Amino acid sequence: MAKKLKTAKRTAKKVSSRAAMSVATNVDKTAKQRVAAITSAPLAVVESDKDMQAMLAVLGNTDEPIAVRLAALQALQAASFSVVAFESGRGDYVATLRKVATDPDPELRQRVLGILMRDKDGFAQKKLLDGLKDPAKALVPPEKALQLLSYDVHTDAYEIARDIVKKPPNDDAKREALRLLAADAKAAPIFEKVLRDKKELRANRQIAAAALHSLDPGKLQQQARKILLDKSDYDDIKATSLVALQQFGDDEALGKDKALLKSVKGFSGGKTQAKYKQTARQFLSKYSP
Amino acid sequence: MNVELQINNSTNPNAQFVSWAPSPCRIRVTNPAGAAGPNASVKLSSTSATNGGSVGFRSGTTGAFAPTLTLTLPVNGTSVSFFTAGKFGQPSTNEGDVRIEARVGNTMVGAAKVMVRIRKNANALMPGERDRFVAAFAKLNNQGLGRYVDFRNMHIGAGLQQAHGAAGFLPWHRTYILDLERELQAIDPSVALPYWRFDQAAPNIFKPEFMGVSDNLGTVSFANNNPLQFWKTDGQPGVNRRPLFNIAGAPPNPISEAATLALGTNFSQFRTMEGNPHGSAHTSFGGFISSTSTAPRDPLFFLLHCNVDRLWAKWQRQNSRFNPAVVASFNNNNASPVGHRLQDSLWPWNGLTGGPRPPTAPGGTLAPSPIVAAPGLSPFVKDMLDYHGVISPASNMGFDYDDVQL
Repeated sequence: MAKKLKTAKRTAKKVSSRAAMSVATNVDKTAKQRVAAITSAPLAVVESDKDMQAMLAVLGNTDEPIAVRLAALQALQAASFSVVAFESGRGDYVATLRKVATDPDPELRQRVLGILMRDKDGFAQKKLLDGLKDPAKALVPPEKALQLLSYDVHTDAYEIARDIVKKPPNDDAKREALRLLAADAKAAPIFEKVLRDKKELRANRQIAAAALHSLDPGKLQQQARKILLDKSDYDDIKATSLVALQQFGDDEALGKDKALLKSVKGFSGGKTQAKYKQTARQFLSKYSP
Repeated sequence: MNVELQINNSTNPNAQFVSWAPSPCRIRVTNPAGAAGPNASVKLSSTSATNGGSVGFRSGTTGAFAPTLTLTLPVNGTSVSFFTAGKFGQPSTNEGDVRIEARVGNTMVGAAKVMVRIRKNANALMPGERDRFVAAFAKLNNQGLGRYVDFRNMHIGAGLQQAHGAAGFLPWHRTYILDLERELQAIDPSVALPYWRFDQAAPNIFKPEFMGVSDNLGTVSFANNNPLQFWKTDGQPGVNRRPLFNIAGAPPNPISEAATLALGTNFSQFRTMEGNPHGSAHTSFGGFISSTSTAPRDPLFFLLHCNVDRLWAKWQRQNSRFNPAVVASFNNNNASPVGHRLQDSLWPWNGLTGGPRPPTAPGGTLAPSPIVAAPGLSPFVKDMLDYHGVISPASNMGFDYDDVQL
C-alpha cells in the first residue's frame, strides 16, 4: 500500500513537471502563461534530456517572445545548481549560450555573456576583447565588457583597461577599468595616485583604496594615515581610511600614533557628518579609550 | 557569601551564549562567609537591557523554563547543576545584555552576563548588529585569503557535487554555514549569521551600510564606513550583483515560505526546494550569486543559504523531522552519490580526497564551538538533522532561528 502511495506521489510530481514543461513549450499559450509555467518548476528541465533540449531550443529561438526566452535562461541557470543532473546537458547548454551571446536582444546578450564569463569561457572573452578593440564589434557597452572581463583577467585586458583609465569614454567605463586593474600587480602606483587625487571621483578613490589594499596593503595603510592627517580631504574618503586602519592596521602602532589619534579626534567632532563621527568615535574607543 | 555561575558549564567569556535550546549550567559557592548553615538557598533570576534578550531557568533536563529558580547550594563549594535557555521571541541584540543574578534573600551573591544569540532576519537587524556582522565578515574575508578562501573553494568545481543535486544538499549547506558562522564568532562572538527572507521585501539588506547597492551594471557600492568595501575574492576587489527585480519588493520567482513548507511532509518532497525557492533565489540576480561557480564570491550568498537552512528547520519542526532514523526525515537512498547518504561523512570536513570525493578537501575540520560538541569536527549527514537537540540534547549545535521554536 505504502509503496503504491509513494509511486503515485512520484508520478504526480512528474505529471506536474510534465504539465509545466508542456505549457512552457506550447507556442499557442500566452507568453505570460509560459513564463509562469517555466518559473513554477525550474528543475523540470533536468528531469529528462528531452525537456532540457526543449528549453534550450526556446532560449535559442529568436522567434520566441523575449520574456519566455529570459525565463528559460533563468530556469536553466537555476537547474545548473543541480550539478549532477545538469552535467549531461552542460555541453549543449554552453553551445546554446555561445549562440545567444550574439543575439539581437541586448538584455539576453548581457545575461548570457555574464554566465559564460563567470565560467571563464574563452569564446565570450574573445568577443568582449574584440568589442573593446573595435566598437563596431561590441556586444555590450565598454563598461559592461570590462566588468565581465574581470571574471578572468588576462594581460590583453589590462592593456585595454590602462588605455581606458587614461582616456575613458564615460565615468562608468573608467570605474570598471579601475576595478579590472585591481588584479594587476603592476597597477599599485595608479591606485596610489587615484586615491590621493582630490579631483578624482570619490567613488573611484574608494575603489582605489580597495585595490591598494588588495595589491599593496602596507601602501594603503600609509596613504590612509596621510589622508586622515590632511584636514582638507573629504569626510567619506577619511571614513574609508579609518575603516582600513581599524580593520586591517597594526593595533599596537595605531594606539601609539599620537598625531593620528589627535587628527581622528578632530574628525569625530565639528562639521563631520554624523555617520562618520560615529566611525571616528569607534576608532578612538578602540585605540584611545 | 559569593557564588560562581558557569554558563554552558564554563567561565570562558566565549561560552556565555545561549539559544532556545537548554544550556547546561553550574553554580557553586566560592566564598561561604556569612552562610548560616551547611546549605544556602539561592534564587536565580535575570534582568535585561533595553532591547536585550531574556532567559528562563529549570533545575533538571525536563520541564518548563521559569523566570526564577531557587536552588539549594552546599556551602562547601560543591557545584549544583541547572539549565538556562533563551525565551523564544526575545533574543539579544548585544553581547551580555542579559544578566543572570543569584541572590540570597535580597543580597546579590553572584552574576553572569549572557547573550541569547540567535540567527535573525537580516532585514530587521539593529544597526549595531548589522555593523558587527559586516565587520566580522570583512575580517574573515581577509583580502580574499586565509579561511575565507576555504569557504570559496568548498563551493566550486568537484565540490559542488558534494553540495548539490541530491539529498545531501540541505545537510551539507547546514554544515557549511555553521562552519562559517563559527569562524565569524571566533572574530566577534556576538555575531550570528542573519538570513535573507527571499520571499519578502528586504530593502534594508540592499543598502550601502549592509550588503551594498547595485547600479545598472551590477557593480555594488558600499558606504565608506562599511568594511565590506574592502571585500575581495579570486584576486578581485568588489562584488557584482544585478537584481532582476525591484529591491523595494521581493523577487517574484522564489515560492513563498508557506508554499515551501507545503511541498510535502516527506524529506524527498521537501528537498525539491533546491530548485524553487533556492535556485530561483540565486537566479533573481545577475552577477556572482547567479552562477554555481561564483556564488560564494557574494557575501549575500551566505544570507541566502541561511534562509534555506531556516526553511528546513521550520519544516523539521512543523513535521517533527529531527530523527534520522525516521524515513520521512531524510530519504536515504543507497543509489545516491557519495556524500548524500545518511551514513556518509561530509566532505570536506572529513578530509577525504580522490575516488568519489573531490581531489582536494579545503579547510580542514569543522570549526569547533566553545559551547557545544555537536555535530563533531568531521560530521556525517545523519548528524546534521537534530540541530537543536530535540532527539538528543547532545546533538544541540548551538544555533537557532528567531522564528523557529524548540
